[in-house]
Amino acid sequence: MKKIFSRMGDGSPIEMTESELRRDLEEGTREAALRGKIPALTDDELKYLAEIFTAPYRFLSVERGNEVVLSYDAGTLKIRRVGIAVNRIQALQIYEKLLGADTMELAHVDYSFKPIKPIIGYEQPVLEQALLVTHIPLFYGAMPNLGLYTQPDGPFPNPSELLPQGKIAEARESYEKTVEAAIRDMVYASDAMMESGADGINFDTTGAAGDPDFLATLKAAEILKKKHPDMCIEVGMAGEFVLGMHGDLRYDGVRVAGLYPHDQVKLAEKAGVTIFGPVVNTNTNRSIPWNLSRATTFIKACVEVSHIPIHVNMGMGVGAVTVTDHPPIDIVSRASKAMVEMTRLDGL
Amino acid sequence: MSILEDISQAVVSGDKGKVLELTQKGASEGMDPMTIINQGLVAGMDIVGPRFKNGEMFIPEVLQSAASMHAGMDLLKPHLKGKVLEAKGVVVLGTVEGDRHDIGKNLVGMMLEAGGFKVVNLGVDILAEDFVDAAVEHKAQVIGLSALLTTTMPAMKEVIEILKEEGKRDKVKVIVGGAPVSQKFSDDIGADGYAPDAASAVDLCRKLLPS
Repeated sequence: MKKIFSRMGDGSPIEMTESELRRDLEEGTREAALRGKIPALTDDELKYLAEIFTAPYRFLSVERGNEVVLSYDAGTLKIRRVGIAVNRIQALQIYEKLLGADTMELAHVDYSFKPIKPIIGYEQPVLEQALLVTHIPLFYGAMPNLGLYTQPDGPFPNPSELLPQGKIAEARESYEKTVEAAIRDMVYASDAMMESGADGINFDTTGAAGDPDFLATLKAAEILKKKHPDMCIEVGMAGEFVLGMHGDLRYDGVRVAGLYPHDQVKLAEKAGVTIFGPVVNTNTNRSIPWNLSRATTFIKACVEVSHIPIHVNMGMGVGAVTVTDHPPIDIVSRASKAMVEMTRLDGL
Repeated sequence: MSILEDISQAVVSGDKGKVLELTQKGASEGMDPMTIINQGLVAGMDIVGPRFKNGEMFIPEVLQSAASMHAGMDLLKPHLKGKVLEAKGVVVLGTVEGDRHDIGKNLVGMMLEAGGFKVVNLGVDILAEDFVDAAVEHKAQVIGLSALLTTTMPAMKEVIEILKEEGKRDKVKVIVGGAPVSQKFSDDIGADGYAPDAASAVDLCRKLLPS
């Protein structure tokens, strides 16, 4: 019986029969459809995914004409993390000139808005100099990371300690205070970088601390868009589902907890976000075919309702890419091809 | 809507004041306290569980609902007049050695109590042998193990090994849960079941301990 090479979500290699492949593709899309209350992939789409996985090539690409924009977040951190000892401006140039990036992001190693705010004056000259030696649109980015605003890292009581004590009202009050503090820092730092000439701001891993995190980002985006109407605001999510850490925070009357990508993007549009980067998390206990079928189901639903460009997050543990430091090209290329050609998104 | 349905809805809403008011009203009108508990308070949590599982309700809301349910039950205790609230089973619960995460585990405990189980919550960073000792002391039918780190998950297998060494494995069911845990891991270590969330943990205990 013919065996098809693939991988599990944790990167470990596996071989599947055609019926196992088909089963995983069907189960993946069904799971997404059930969770998100969205349409599952059609038989033709599942067949297309099956062809991607049964193709004998090590890596695949898109058909000519289907190329999309490649935008990168935190690249100045990642290239140095693999041991290439360049400074941040050189890192930006490597991405632009050697790696084909269409947009790049200047980032600080302490990649959150709270620690960046007090040193933003030191970040500004770096961006200004980077703009002189690069051509592609250059963003400045960091994470909202609302976890840093509660004790021991921040001033507000830690809801993770209050909730087990049954102090739910106090926990929610603390979350609400973190939202206000985060908005101030995000707006302050973003304002400064726009003054220095940034082409845009990226709010990365939005929602990592749950619904307060997502709400803070939406509100910060709204404030910034009013001040800088031509500003590009990119929001990259942390997960496919906004965790209800507070549970009752609303933006424009919509509860932000529990939202999936196709509903997240609607709020992002209302807030004035220019580019939305949805995320679907990779399940390490399931095969990549299962993960990719599931991820494309979510992203397709998101693209269908969006009026702004969608640049799906694809990398370690997201977008059906394996949870490995060096994602294997056989999976990255297959997942990318499927995302681009099936969901009709605008960028990766 | 009947008073019992109103109590259920108040539990779902996490409205402690309303739960207490309606529970008192039911008791004052001579309603059987067990009926109020089973068809009012616990019935409310039976709605909360699936909603939490489906992502329609979230941790703070579930905790509020559980707190309001417990408040109602505390109010009714003097009215029980010798009737024993018979538990469906005893569950010893804890986070394994080396791990201090507890929100999920506490949620499981609350949902199990709401589901009619007696819960002995040992806390966090619990040695494997202490789980077994507690199960013996409290005559537990289930040991529930929680871990949030891949580095602490192996401690779950230790509990099962100790049960086997002491000849107690067939007397206690072992269930596991936590973010890095999976059904495959549960099968590999010889546990009796895996629950991905608090509501599923209640369903699993009901399945493992049929009444």
